[in-house]
Amino acid sequence: MSSSGSLFNIMGPIMIGPSSSHTAGAVRLALLARNIANQPIRKVQFILYNSFAKTYRGHGTDRGLLAGILGYSVEDNAIRDMFKNAEQTDLEYQFIPYDQPNPFPPNTVKFEITLANGDFLTVIGHSIGGGQVYVSRINEYSVALKGEYPTLVMFYHDQPGMIWQVTKIIAEEQINIASLNCTRKAKGTEAFMAICLDSLLPEPQVKAIREITEVYTVYNVDKIPL
Amino acid sequence: MTNFSTFKDLLSYCQEHHVSIGEAALEYEVARGERSEADILLGARKILEQMRATIESGLYSDEPSMSGLSGGFSKKVMAFSESPQSFMSSLEHRMIAYALATLEENSRMRKIVACPTAGGSGVVPGVLIALTDEKQIPMPTLEKALLAAGMVGGIVSQRMHLSGAAAGCQAEVGVATGMSAAAIVEALGGTPQQALDAVAIALKNMMGLVCDPVAGLVEVPCVKRNAVAGIHASAAATIALAGIPSFIPLDEIIDAMVSVGQMMPPQLKESAEGGLAKTPTAVSFTERLYGEQPD
Ligand code: SF4
Repeated sequence: MSSSGSLFNIMGPIMIGPSSSHTAGAVRLALLARNIANQPIRKVQFILYNSFAKTYRGHGTDRGLLAGILGYSVEDNAIRDMFKNAEQTDLEYQFIPYDQPNPFPPNTVKFEITLANGDFLTVIGHSIGGGQVYVSRINEYSVALKGEYPTLVMFYHDQPGMIWQVTKIIAEEQINIASLNCTRKAKGTEAFMAICLDSLLPEPQVKAIREITEVYTVYNVDKIPL
Repeated sequence: MTNFSTFKDLLSYCQEHHVSIGEAALEYEVARGERSEADILLGARKILEQMRATIESGLYSDEPSMSGLSGGFSKKVMAFSESPQSFMSSLEHRMIAYALATLEENSRMRKIVACPTAGGSGVVPGVLIALTDEKQIPMPTLEKALLAAGMVGGIVSQRMHLSGAAAGCQAEVGVATGMSAAAIVEALGGTPQQALDAVAIALKNMMGLVCDPVAGLVEVPCVKRNAVAGIHASAAATIALAGIPSFIPLDEIIDAMVSVGQMMPPQLKESAEGGLAKTPTAVSFTERLYGEQPD
């Protein structure tokens, strides 16, 4: 819980066992990866690190990750039978425990996702206890994404007026901005912006933002349920 | 100001405004601005109802867990409570059986309420639902007791991640025990000071608890540990309600837990590489379990 986090994160979530960090956290991380991809997924390799790598079978981390990628919630009774459910889909998947020393926190998974359109996406996420999670990396970009709000994540070439151009498009849709966070490597270089919104930005507006010449990449990421 | 970052803040708020920990917790959650008071209380009730539903579906079940390490335990305790050999009260038998039932359902991959985590999910329901059944605690009081437990876990979670992987089992069953001690005091009408003393006494005894689950499963020692922890919380609440304070203030105890968590080697933090997980019995069980399963 951050200093004003909800008590329902502590006495909750209502979830399928056996582990909030390894089962519910796995479902939520995979849901977040699925929202980042925001397109049909053909194949996923789950690279598991540290405690995830050592104990994933016993904790149902594998079933949880699969459930999240397929869009199930943490309290769905189907999680138990997820291998069977996955057989009925076209999804290809593989779990790869990584057993070398690495800089990641205890419960980390790297999603190597192949989309149905052939594109490739890498997402690195962490489960930090009680079902709470965050994503620290999308492809080569560092981010800090918790899935608490619908979030527009963008990378662009830093130059004056960018924030105004983007927020104008959002304001015209009458969507409230809950918070805006900007960083850049240096003046006039690559910059990063994460805008937490009260509701998800519709696709035409996302397209308009993508079309701004200085913008390299945009991820329109929906929030994940508690 | 209801944005409590220490137990000292929480206590002085309660004393100034003449509210219980549970009432302060409700004000805290309302002040976050996401949900109305009525909606929060409804949320608390929904959690209590799920806690009871989990207990009811598990209590007399013989079904083994996914690994076979647990199953049928709560049923045995309920039967033993009727035996002439039993020596604890019916309340305590229920606390033990309800916590076992919850963790057994968890190990069957069924629905539970993480509180604060799945591994520690039996302690709060064990004490609260047993107390309700034996002492007829009215629903509004019960909701406040649950919120008090949430507030305690919430303040601790600002200083440490509540996961065995981050700080050992002191952060899971340990914190759940502290939360339960506060919930008992709140349910029985004790003062905020007594509630926090109960938390302090409970946590001093849970400090340093390692996370060493056999085969990495949330079963051994977790299932029975939750049951014993409910009795532990009851003892701490009894000491505090009797008017005995904790010598070390609660905030300092949390700081000590954080530093103990940092000193704890990674082998004892949910990696199944130390403690009980490395005993010969555990090692051979693990080989049998995973040897049969394709990767
Ligand atoms: S021993 Fe570890 S897995 Fe078991 S309840 Fe404690 S922290 Fe959770």
